[in-house]
Amino acid sequence: MHAKALKPAALTGAMPNRNLAPGVFGAAGLNRAETVHRGVPTVNRSILLAGVCALALAVASPVSAKTLIFCSEGSPENFYPGVNTTGTSFDGNEPIYNRIVEFERGGTKVVPALAEKWTISPDGTTYTFELRKGVKWHSTSKSFKPTRDFNADDIIFSIERQWKEDNPYFKVTSSNHSYFGDMGMPKLLKSVEKVDDYTVKVTLNRPEAPFLADLAMAFAAIQSKEYADAMLKAGTPEKIDQDPIGTGPFYLVQYQKDAVIRYKAFPAFWGGKAKIDDLVYSITPDSSVRWAKLQKGECDVMPYPNPADIDAMRKDPNVTVLEQPGLNVGYLAFQTQKKPFDDVRVRKAISMAIDKKAIIDAVYLSTGIAAKNPIPPSMWSYNDEVKDDPYDPEAAKKLLADAGFPNGFETDLWAMPVQRPYNPNAKRIAELMQADLAKIGVKAEIKSFEWGEYRKRMQAGEHQMGMLGWTGDNGDPDNFLHTLLGCDSAQTASGGNIAKFCYKPFDDLVVKAKTISDQAERTKLYEQAQVIFKEQAPWFTIAHAVQLKPVTKRVIDFKLSPFGRHTFYGVDVKE
Amino acid sequence: MSAEVLKTPIVSQPGAPPHPLSQFWSDFKANFGAVAGLVVIVVLILLALFADVVAPHSPIVTNNAVFLKPPFWQQGGSTAYPLGTDAIGRDILSRLIYGARLSLLIGIAVVTLSVVTGTVLGLIAGFFRGVIEIVIMRLMDITLTLPSLLLAIVIVAILGPGLMNAMLAVAIVLLPHYVRIARAAVISEVSKDYVVAAKVAGAGRLRLMFKEVLPNCTAPLIVQATLGISTAILDAAALGFLGLGAQPPLPEWGTMLADAREFVLRAWWVVTLPGLAILVTVLAFNLLGDGLRDALDPKLKR
Repeated sequence: MHAKALKPAALTGAMPNRNLAPGVFGAAGLNRAETVHRGVPTVNRSILLAGVCALALAVASPVSAKTLIFCSEGSPENFYPGVNTTGTSFDGNEPIYNRIVEFERGGTKVVPALAEKWTISPDGTTYTFELRKGVKWHSTSKSFKPTRDFNADDIIFSIERQWKEDNPYFKVTSSNHSYFGDMGMPKLLKSVEKVDDYTVKVTLNRPEAPFLADLAMAFAAIQSKEYADAMLKAGTPEKIDQDPIGTGPFYLVQYQKDAVIRYKAFPAFWGGKAKIDDLVYSITPDSSVRWAKLQKGECDVMPYPNPADIDAMRKDPNVTVLEQPGLNVGYLAFQTQKKPFDDVRVRKAISMAIDKKAIIDAVYLSTGIAAKNPIPPSMWSYNDEVKDDPYDPEAAKKLLADAGFPNGFETDLWAMPVQRPYNPNAKRIAELMQADLAKIGVKAEIKSFEWGEYRKRMQAGEHQMGMLGWTGDNGDPDNFLHTLLGCDSAQTASGGNIAKFCYKPFDDLVVKAKTISDQAERTKLYEQAQVIFKEQAPWFTIAHAVQLKPVTKRVIDFKLSPFGRHTFYGVDVKE
Repeated sequence: MSAEVLKTPIVSQPGAPPHPLSQFWSDFKANFGAVAGLVVIVVLILLALFADVVAPHSPIVTNNAVFLKPPFWQQGGSTAYPLGTDAIGRDILSRLIYGARLSLLIGIAVVTLSVVTGTVLGLIAGFFRGVIEIVIMRLMDITLTLPSLLLAIVIVAILGPGLMNAMLAVAIVLLPHYVRIARAAVISEVSKDYVVAAKVAGAGRLRLMFKEVLPNCTAPLIVQATLGISTAILDAAALGFLGLGAQPPLPEWGTMLADAREFVLRAWWVVTLPGLAILVTVLAFNLLGDGLRDALDPKLKR
């Protein structure tokens, strides 16, 4: 009897680490603490619990803080989604901020968030938002304590910050509000007015069907005007993007680049406190390391698994692999404003010379389906009638000769250095393409830069051929066809249209489709646009990746977002 | 007993010492490791020279029907691809053979570059002393204080990734060793009688440097150069592994290794074989270097 009682006592003796860890140590300490916690045998639980409680009281930390660890794939650039373009950065901001309206978790439906309800005028140009009352700002920053609740001023500030160049915050952190510009917002918005503290009226220059969905996207996060004013007065405006204050379900505790982001649940969150207490992003760029950590229980959710590991993941009894057709496309874009890719014959020839099936078999394995259109098959208006270019090196060679390159030419082929949701290994794909292109005499040199640099140079159009991809962020075809291939985003040096493709007949169709609210009519226009896309071939469409997310069995109710985002509000973990 | 004693004078003429080369060879072949290293290196050189004939496939052509095929002795393998294929259907054996060409080229080119430059700098430092020596030697000391791979990465980052730049970077990193060795040898030689005699006879400075002193400093340089080849191969492979060395589709061993990391658990051959190739080559050069040192350095004579 005595001996039995001794054993758990010894165990509790080892426990202080666990209780201290969540508040004190970094990710590594935390991870270990969690593993210890799960490893505790069930013997004599009451004694153990009593010991834990006593210790917990002694160090005054929560008894059983529920922690969820997400092994994220990279570091966010900053905490201002308005200038971000990558999923990595949006994921980092997701717990902190809210938007006027949001997407329901795990779906594409727009639901109320900071606006409780809204009305749209019959002509589709005026949106009146009635805002939620009693929404609290995070009050955890050392440099600033909010004195008022969220109101209409914050909405107007957050929109004008991206819109009006004379706003003192327009240039803070970056003046490149990439999303805002690419979605054509500056031309679309006529006015944003405050009717009273809790009513905002937005007037558009023309009806825009996807407008509400646009506002639910990550870039439209709402920041505090009071905080912004205070920081402007203090002479440190960039602080609002580094030490963020939001209205979201979690507040930021610590951010260490390339190591860890730690959040805590915000008790006064308007939707009710999150089910988990601590949220940790353990930044792990290597996918095999992420998988190893998941196996060891050092993280609970991991994005972008390596296709080669999927089989092992499915077999692991402690892991569930969630699966969903992704709302994405991976592509190889031709710089259509540079020689020789300004010639549609050259673009077609390259498209016919690359063996798409081999790429799917070698790189995507079971996690991707070949793409022929720029939008994924699960999206409305997908045109299944479009025929993909056949793999035919002979015909490609002939086409090249017609275009004046009987002996091929030299070019570059950009491949991103990181794994993306739509492209598990760009370098390997590049090598396959390089080998295929060599067969028709095209000598391609593979180039790669650091990820941030890569996108910047690509957007500036420095490449000749380059790989990139897109994960939809509002479920509307406009988000692919206009954002990525319209003239609006081709002209700026920062636009998302990296093919720099500006083709009048195509642009007319997608711009027209924006102004119509009847979905059947829009479908027709978009279907036509896809036909033109295939004829003009500004991209070689590679694949649509299936979204796979391994999570441990301990995680309850994690839902896959069709946009590839990770939302942890509403998720719970088993003790 | 007596027969053996009798034999000796027949081999070497009485009074005349054995020719230095044959003396060297008899010392060298006594060292088993060194001979093994030499054999491996000769085989590698032959493979590299006749890669076009020996390799069963092209190192860069992909075959979309055979991704990650195992070596022939494993189930699912075939003798068409004796050592299997990589993730995009290229024959690993052929890539390794062509890779030998690259690795030897890297090793020899890098070492030639740094030996020549290093010796010249060392000679100058040893002869002119004073300010020139201080400038050269302190510069080399600074280079030596930086971790070699880090320095190489910085140089490649500035010049841009690529095989040529990687070779240049490694050559710069290896340079100080040769400068220091050459200078030390020169200083100890300069005060010797034969140099003084040559000087008295009216030999010019250049003649003194290159005709009189240099030949007597070669032994340590040769040893260091042989060991340097292995360092060069290793460093270039490391740069390739980091994506800064040879660019695809060149079949450089380090790059092959880096590309195959993710298959460690699933397809061992893609990772193991290039790793083994690097290991064997570097080991061979090290053994050869050790053997050369033993044979050339009079202080180590048994």
